[in-house]
Amino acid sequence: MTGDWLAPLMFVGALVLIFSGYPVAFALGGTALVFAFVGVEAGYFDWHLLLAMPDRTFGVMSNYILLAVPYFIFMGTMLEKSRLAEDLLETVGILFGRMRGGLALAVVFVGTLLAAATGVVGASVTAMGLISLPVMLRYGYDRKLASGVVTASGTLGQIIPPSVVLVVLGDQLGVSVGDLFVGSLAPGLLLAGMYALYVVGVSVARPGAAPALPRDVRDVPAGALARRVALVMVPPLVLIVLVLGSIFAGVATPTEAGALGAVGAVALAAANRRLSVAAVRDALESTLRLTVMVMFLLIGSTAFALVFRGLYGDVWIEGLLTGLPGGAVGLLLVANLAIFALGFFIDFFEIAFIIIPLLVPAVRALGIDPVWFGVMVAMNLQTSFLTPPFGFALFYLRGIAPPELRTSEIYRGAIPFVLIQLLALLLVILFPGLVTR
Amino acid sequence: MSPESQPPTPSRAPGLLGSVPQAIDRVSGLVGRTVLWLVAVMVAIGAYNAVARYLNRFTDANLASNAYLEAQWYLFSLVFLLGAAYALKEDSHVRVDVLYGRLGPRGKAWIDLAGTLLFLIPFCTLMLWVSWPSVAASWRVREVSPDPGGLPRYPIKAVVLLAFALLLLQGVAQALKQVALLRGAAPPAEPGRHRPEEV
Repeated sequence: MTGDWLAPLMFVGALVLIFSGYPVAFALGGTALVFAFVGVEAGYFDWHLLLAMPDRTFGVMSNYILLAVPYFIFMGTMLEKSRLAEDLLETVGILFGRMRGGLALAVVFVGTLLAAATGVVGASVTAMGLISLPVMLRYGYDRKLASGVVTASGTLGQIIPPSVVLVVLGDQLGVSVGDLFVGSLAPGLLLAGMYALYVVGVSVARPGAAPALPRDVRDVPAGALARRVALVMVPPLVLIVLVLGSIFAGVATPTEAGALGAVGAVALAAANRRLSVAAVRDALESTLRLTVMVMFLLIGSTAFALVFRGLYGDVWIEGLLTGLPGGAVGLLLVANLAIFALGFFIDFFEIAFIIIPLLVPAVRALGIDPVWFGVMVAMNLQTSFLTPPFGFALFYLRGIAPPELRTSEIYRGAIPFVLIQLLALLLVILFPGLVTR
Repeated sequence: MSPESQPPTPSRAPGLLGSVPQAIDRVSGLVGRTVLWLVAVMVAIGAYNAVARYLNRFTDANLASNAYLEAQWYLFSLVFLLGAAYALKEDSHVRVDVLYGRLGPRGKAWIDLAGTLLFLIPFCTLMLWVSWPSVAASWRVREVSPDPGGLPRYPIKAVVLLAFALLLLQGVAQALKQVALLRGAAPPAEPGRHRPEEV
């Protein structure tokens, strides 16, 4: 008895059930169970395949790469909960405040630096928004520009290493996380540079949209300012450079660098007298919750993948993708469009765990460089998260923005950044050399 | 603060719908608040391992050991496995809330009740059922790490059973809470369910 229709049905079924709003990890696990049962009844699936689950779970537990996930999350949450991120933004703001658009530049700068650590869209947009949006609005920034800068810089963390999503993506693509970090650095900095250029452009063309800070705020005595820069701005910068540098130089694995970075974040908090039991506890609690979320998503996806393969779904998808007209170009087009559309609704982790494993065999079969593919996927998703009306980042900002900031302003503010993103994505596709190896 | 510090909400709920979920919540809360400190231990051991491996290149003192390397992922496993029930209680498992976010408290309760009964509880049962034989086999032979100086494997494998049992239990608590809410016993006031990543 043939059950060729089961795999496609399972794929659609999983998407529908995910959209029910029930936690994705368990919706996937439940879907796996339902279709395993249907498959057995249809004489198309062997129950014994499910006995591989303990082994797979054990593989997830002892996965050395994924150990880096809680470390990078903790490093980011520690900097946030000890309010070092806030200090950093304020200091950079004063430093750049003399020039028009300076505050917005500070947001881009800090976003590049700190969002790098957490790499979780919701967390970084929320943190950046809470800290910087009120300040920009208070000093008379154009609301669209202010909200656009916050959402764009907050999502930037995904592609700038070290980020949690790149760790997970490396694991799923079967490439080294270090390679992915190296590869995404140039495109990430390119994006940050383009954001900064846009901010400068706006402040020249429309001085009223991005005024300099008033004199009394920015006139901190030079000595005091130098002290703040040395104490508040330089140490986190050094921390990130050390973490990345040790990975790039091959001295430390991403997991090791993450663990040391986590200790470094605690040390920074202590050096700034911000180390309290409450701050540490909050950072640990956030780390626990985010780590559980990521890892259970992986366990649910593992169950899904196991049954999906048992129903020959992988064969079906690979045939579909390698048989596209245009070969590699056709695959890239379809994959990009699908990921862009899915990015409206589901977060990076779900896409990394559910969609990426389905794409990888076709990507390898068509001779596409998986590192380059990973960077492109990350940039694509980042664009998707920013795109009105569905983009994730916009919802997060809406959630914390003051009511006088209208939703339409958030949407319109995001558009220039979406265009910048698309331009950068196009550059990465046209000039694959941007993704350095 | 944490939900359990609020006054007991389902005052009109009969025992099963009132006290049972509360008791389970307390268990999951206690386990979660305990394992979160293991993250700190994990950071410390991870940093030690990194430094030890580095120093090993220059000295003869063999600082790194398989026991410490394995302790790192044992702790990681304890954290995410035992934290799962706590995360369920705190609603930290990521949802796709395009539609869910627009529903009222009752609509959400219906989705959650259906999901708990159709997805969560069967999935936990499955995991317990398929894991049992492999854990029992590991336990019988007192399985140890294949690497020299490694740790015993059987206890960490057994944690999988404990984790899914706790998750199943929390699932029962969630279902009872949702039933209580749907019957109008508990006030639907649950302002601003935070989005999962918004921590």
